Amino acid sequence: MADTGVQRSGLRAPGAATLNAEHGARSFAPRPVRERRWVVVRRALSARLAPFGGLVVLLAVLAAIFAPLVSPYDPLQQDLARILAPPGGDHLLGTDNVGRDILARVIWGTRVSLVAGFVSVAIAAVVGSLLGLGAGFWGGRVDGGVMRLMDAILAFPPLVLALALGAVLGAGLTGVLIALGVVYTPTFARLMRGQVLTIKAREYVEAARVLGAPNWRIVRRHVLPNAATPIVVQASLSVAFAILAEASLSFLGLGIQPPEPSWGSMINAGRGYLQQAPWIVFGPGAALFVTVLGLNFVGDAVRDALDPRLRV
Amino acid sequence: MGTLVLRRLLASIPVLVLVTAGVFSLIHLTPGDPVEAMMGESQDPVAKEALRRQLGLDRPLYVQYAVWVGRVLQGDLGRSIRNNEPVVENIGRRIRPSIQLALFAMLISLTVAFPVGILSATHRNSPVDGLGTMFALFGICMPNFLIALLLIFVFGVSLRWLPISGYVDPLQDPLAGIRSLTLPAVTLGLALAAVITRTLRSSLLEVLSEDYVRTARAKGLADRLVIRRHALKNGLIPVVTLLGLQFGTLIGGAVITEYVFALPGVGRLVVDAIFSRDYPLVQGVILLISIGFILSNLVVDVVYGWLDPRIRYG
Repeated sequence: MADTGVQRSGLRAPGAATLNAEHGARSFAPRPVRERRWVVVRRALSARLAPFGGLVVLLAVLAAIFAPLVSPYDPLQQDLARILAPPGGDHLLGTDNVGRDILARVIWGTRVSLVAGFVSVAIAAVVGSLLGLGAGFWGGRVDGGVMRLMDAILAFPPLVLALALGAVLGAGLTGVLIALGVVYTPTFARLMRGQVLTIKAREYVEAARVLGAPNWRIVRRHVLPNAATPIVVQASLSVAFAILAEASLSFLGLGIQPPEPSWGSMINAGRGYLQQAPWIVFGPGAALFVTVLGLNFVGDAVRDALDPRLRV
Repeated sequence: MGTLVLRRLLASIPVLVLVTAGVFSLIHLTPGDPVEAMMGESQDPVAKEALRRQLGLDRPLYVQYAVWVGRVLQGDLGRSIRNNEPVVENIGRRIRPSIQLALFAMLISLTVAFPVGILSATHRNSPVDGLGTMFALFGICMPNFLIALLLIFVFGVSLRWLPISGYVDPLQDPLAGIRSLTLPAVTLGLALAAVITRTLRSSLLEVLSEDYVRTARAKGLADRLVIRRHALKNGLIPVVTLLGLQFGTLIGGAVITEYVFALPGVGRLVVDAIFSRDYPLVQGVILLISIGFILSNLVVDVVYGWLDPRIRYG
């Protein structure tokens, strides 16, 4: 993905040119873009646990999209005759303290978790990348101002900042998305700034400048495509943590408000019934753990595929 | 070394100014009138006006900020709306359980992480390494509140070995105190142990492939000595940094852990203050936590520079 812009721009990365000259064009000639994409996908899939992670994420996404079709019951429907029913029979994961089906609520809760994870990271990636791009490209006061602001955000412990922002923005999904978006923005801004500073000094950017390319064109065709890889890697690794953070906020009562189903608030509601009905906690708890585990495997695989140097 | 400390201190000043501005503006980010939000259903206009004056909300924003910073510099964080006591006193009462919890959790995490991390690195790709990696992954993917509830279910509800809530000061009654802090500290410590294990393993693996380790092995040193004398010393540098930087994780984790186990610490105070919309208390606690976080980062930077001269002169 990183090389696409270089390809399109018609300028080749300086490293590639040198290698071609030294070792012969055949062995080091850049592969076609499509072929390289497949190499990345193959590398990602070759990671040992990536297929499991991919399957978990796929199932979660399908459950979130098709929740109305696959959910066995209405997640808000109370059945006072079946309060705290154990798992099995009509209710595969049991029922909660007001007779709602746990499985149905876990399935609907997937929507909240995935939306929170992906949207908050998307907000952070877009805003952070733009800020980092501006700071790195223009430098000077813009750089100083933006990066001090990012340092200030990083000076707050993440969960405490999310809690404070959640408190002032009010409970609910929008507040959570904004709060988590703000918390994760500095990571992307720092990453993008570092990338831009490196790329800006490259010969192909200088060449573009000498050829008279305006700033916006240099940014769009040379800087952004080459800086994208670490951003994608960071985004893929951040989604799992954003889902955990949303669950933590909902657990504390600052995320999605009952009776709407979210894994964190379901676990919080069930902690008073640990002795009589532990399944109220274990259903959403298992869903949360497995989803985060799956996303971690996928994130690791994406990292290994796009940037094998970062492999742990 | 002095230059490094001075440089870091100077770099912290603009961050501190922005942090204070951020904490100050918390109250102004509230949608609508913050006084309405704090007083809830109370319709008494006189009380509302008095609170508005007490918080200085009737003055221009820059004056409010200047007055607030001036008071903060004198150690006055205002008064809690809930109990009308100074915020500093509220925090002072809650700090001891939090420090005890953090120290206990740190002790547990180091006791677990060091053997697991070292064994994982020295037995790379063996079943031992597999178990160690699985443990680290488990700790990273499990949210604090889920670990807490699992521990409560097993050791509190099923086996009835340990209390599931409440706090006894270990300095007054050591046995009961340690019993009351065990489950919360294990909850917090396991998550921390997972992160430390992962870092220690990867940093040791890197060091173990260095030439000087190969030389030490080639001259016939026993494996244990190679690890202790050569690998561990250098492999520990990233772990020291990580320990300092985990202050934020400890505080975040403490918020959840203290909430679940009903511990009267600073973390619980943040949640209570947020729910009761006690903004002066929220501002005070968050400001102190952030200053603590900045200071811990500063100490880490300095210690890191002291441990690794390449950083000092870089």
